[in-house]
Amino acid sequence: MNGYPEAVAKISNDYLERVKLQLRLVPAREQDEFLREIQSHIHEAYHQACLQTTGDDDVARMLAVLRNLGEPAEVVSDRLPRAMVRSGTKRSLPLYILAGITIALFGIPLGFGGVGVLVGLLAALAGLLVAYYAVAGSFLLVGASFMALGLIRVVLPELWDKLVMLGFIQFNGPVEIVNHLSPTGQAFLMIVVASVFVASGVGLLRLGKYLLRGLRFLMSLIFDWARRFAQTVRRKMRRDKGEGLPATPRIVRTQGT
Amino acid sequence: MEYSDEDRDRRVTQLRKGILELAVMGVLYREKHYGYSLVRALTETGSISLKEGTIYPILARLDRDGLVRSEWVESDQGPPRKYYALTSSGRQLFDELSKELDLLISLVQRKWKGREQNAYAGKKLAVRKG
Repeated sequence: MNGYPEAVAKISNDYLERVKLQLRLVPAREQDEFLREIQSHIHEAYHQACLQTTGDDDVARMLAVLRNLGEPAEVVSDRLPRAMVRSGTKRSLPLYILAGITIALFGIPLGFGGVGVLVGLLAALAGLLVAYYAVAGSFLLVGASFMALGLIRVVLPELWDKLVMLGFIQFNGPVEIVNHLSPTGQAFLMIVVASVFVASGVGLLRLGKYLLRGLRFLMSLIFDWARRFAQTVRRKMRRDKGEGLPATPRIVRTQGT
Repeated sequence: MEYSDEDRDRRVTQLRKGILELAVMGVLYREKHYGYSLVRALTETGSISLKEGTIYPILARLDRDGLVRSEWVESDQGPPRKYYALTSSGRQLFDELSKELDLLISLVQRKWKGREQNAYAGKKLAVRKG
């Protein structure tokens, strides 16, 4: 029991739920402990506010307490798995490769099946990335070629004729309609097509930044999960073999004394 | 080139972020505190306004680095409180960091005093000229 009026208790619980949501990747014990700490903070701050302010607007008081405490994401920032905290920052690719090799070589506790799944996932992600940038690159290349041809058509018509004569430029199928256009019309059409391709290519490259960020985040999460899984398995194995007791918790609970 | 208010605020925040961790250690150096009382201790002089939640990431960092230890203590005023205290390595680090801070402060103030003296000298010169 926290002794809050019903509406106030609901606001406080909503806030704690939001904190809990932010902590979803944190181990349950740590999550529970931090929630209790924040609950205690809210309780202290709220009762202090009750003593300092007059009036009976409990809801406003609680809202002020939570505003002072800050957004749940800020409050939990240093308790999240490293992957989530660092997702927006730059990291070097060689480190990932090194981590991948290390896991492949020493990931025995993880099991070779696990390593296989991990390598497969990473390869799929890398393939997706390469395919994406290949499409963006080909769009830019096609755009640049069309642009060059359009300019040749207008500025150097004799070179254009020579290229057509040598068979480097051919109009086949539905594109034959272009033959009925004036040289300036053909050039204009090619420049328009070129602009569309270039714009699409540039757009894809810009979007790629987000794709990269997302993939980085995904890879960090995969590594994080793999690390945690390996740690858990290793700890279990050690416990089974009786090679030592689990680390002494730093927190001394004096509840119920 | 003029700096913007936003630019100044960003730098002030950066400066505070570094110092705040040391300030938290300083408060815990004197006595143990729980989260809320730590915020009160930091803000009691009124010289700094603080989003209360910002101390929890700091405490988490200090705890992870073994610079503070914590314990839950029953409270007769409500839920149990989690008290934090500096460990011996935390105290040692605080001593070293505060020496470093003193050096930095003296460096900044020396520059300041130098500027003030220059400005004063300029004024004296102007009076003589007059």
